Amino acid sequence: MRDTFYYFERDMLRWVRGRISVISALIMPAAWLIFVGLALPTTFSEHYIDFITPGILVLTMLGASLQGGSLLIFDKILGFLNKFLALPSSRESILFGKILFITTRGLIQATVILVLAWVLGASLLSPAGILLSYGILALFGILLSAFSTTIALYLSDHDAYAAFNAMVSMPLFFTSSALMPYNVMPAWLSAIAYWNPVSFAIDSIRSLQEGVLAWTRIGALGLLAVLVVSFCIHKFRKVTI
Amino acid sequence: MIPIETSGLTKYYDDLCAVDHLDLSVGNEIFGLLGPNGSGKTTTVLMLTTLLEPTAGSARICGFDTTREAREVRSQISYVPQEMAVDAKLTGRENVALFAKLYGIGGRDEAVDRALEMMDLAERADDLVRTYSGGMRRRLELAQALVHEPKVLFLDEPTIGLDVAARRKIWEHIRTLRSRGMTIFVTTHYMEEADASCDRVAILDRGRLVAIDSPAGLRARVGKDVISARVTGTITGRSPGGVELLGTRESGEIVFSTDHGSEKVPLIFRWLEDQGVMVHSLAVHEPTLDDVFLALVGSRDEARGFDDHRFRTILRRR
Repeated sequence: MRDTFYYFERDMLRWVRGRISVISALIMPAAWLIFVGLALPTTFSEHYIDFITPGILVLTMLGASLQGGSLLIFDKILGFLNKFLALPSSRESILFGKILFITTRGLIQATVILVLAWVLGASLLSPAGILLSYGILALFGILLSAFSTTIALYLSDHDAYAAFNAMVSMPLFFTSSALMPYNVMPAWLSAIAYWNPVSFAIDSIRSLQEGVLAWTRIGALGLLAVLVVSFCIHKFRKVTI
Repeated sequence: MIPIETSGLTKYYDDLCAVDHLDLSVGNEIFGLLGPNGSGKTTTVLMLTTLLEPTAGSARICGFDTTREAREVRSQISYVPQEMAVDAKLTGRENVALFAKLYGIGGRDEAVDRALEMMDLAERADDLVRTYSGGMRRRLELAQALVHEPKVLFLDEPTIGLDVAARRKIWEHIRTLRSRGMTIFVTTHYMEEADASCDRVAILDRGRLVAIDSPAGLRARVGKDVISARVTGTITGRSPGGVELLGTRESGEIVFSTDHGSEKVPLIFRWLEDQGVMVHSLAVHEPTLDDVFLALVGSRDEARGFDDHRFRTILRRR
């Protein structure tokens, strides 16, 4: 377990010293919040920014997690992964280190978005609600970063990973409940959106706004995370070059 | 305990045989694995370092099996791949400390200092690696590899891309490590370097072991002297008695081996002139590993054509 922290520490130092990437990752969610959250003329909500904020928070985690997979791609291309795999420490600690770093980074970015939403006029949750939102975002981050890191293990170069990222991120976002409630979606979309893991996270946070804990949605997210992470551990343990 | 031992070690990528029934026994020495690109050197190292599973056969490192006891093997070895993977945004000390932590060694700070000191990096240890030269980065990788005092050190092309002075320094360090009792398994395609520093070398061609001996022993196989000729024209027919045609170097030079080289020069000159070949120069020298290589493997590329498919398959798979 200590090894997980050492891998995390390495990625964190590299990120903090990178500077530009700290800011660039925030541009897209901030743009969504400002240009869509404030400007879109919606009819189903009086205060659209309150409705869209949970969606943008989850989008931030989604983007951060999928982007995070490229960390492993670079470790692999540049020869770091080979060195790490030849170490006696457990191989899943490489995976856990990435999950911890990518999720932490995502939560830091989500915090900036949360503050921005508040500045733009979104109403704030209760302290308990904020804490639970962070828990849900973390769970979502763990699920997605485990997934993207394991995909990266099997892709050979950065172009292939960028293609995967583009193929997955936008469809996942647009087929979720991020932008509109189920009752205004076309029937075919609402069926897809309901089973989209991105909606699990968004709906969970949204129900916190009403002071309700959506156990089935949180449970679905948790169950999926357990399944995916177990599968990823299995893959990391037996990986060969 | 034998540091490295393989028996019938074999690796297939689909139907392409990258390593073919390799039997090696490496003692406490600097052991060089030589071969042209795509001959299976890196594949061999990857199998020995537990990163790749052999298709058939087995390998043991310090008595531990590389597939069944992979974890024990990994605690005995260090592996430095050819890519030069050090974090440019971390300092030298942070890079080494990461490995010290991951190896879980006690007395970590002293071990890190010792490794940096040994590689002459103590003075620059707290600078970001971004400011390091190529040679320093390679030495930093060696420091990372040494921090847990491995029994066996695997180096894949340790001097690739470095200038002459940096290369010399790397080899000095490698020899120092051997004198401290470490076994060093190194792949390279720089023949002179292997000749100067390796205790024994093995030559691999298309995954097969074609020779294994000390550099001096290999050179003796070629004969007493080597004559290289720069000519214009094509050579046909058999070489004169007592002279063996070894082959054509990449530079176009034709190489002969013989005893009493200087006496054979007029003979070779006349033989070439008789065929209508124009001779620009003839030089006699002692055989080098390059000549051995030429005799055993043939010219690296031209004689049989560069095997693009094989090269790509092996590159893609690792």
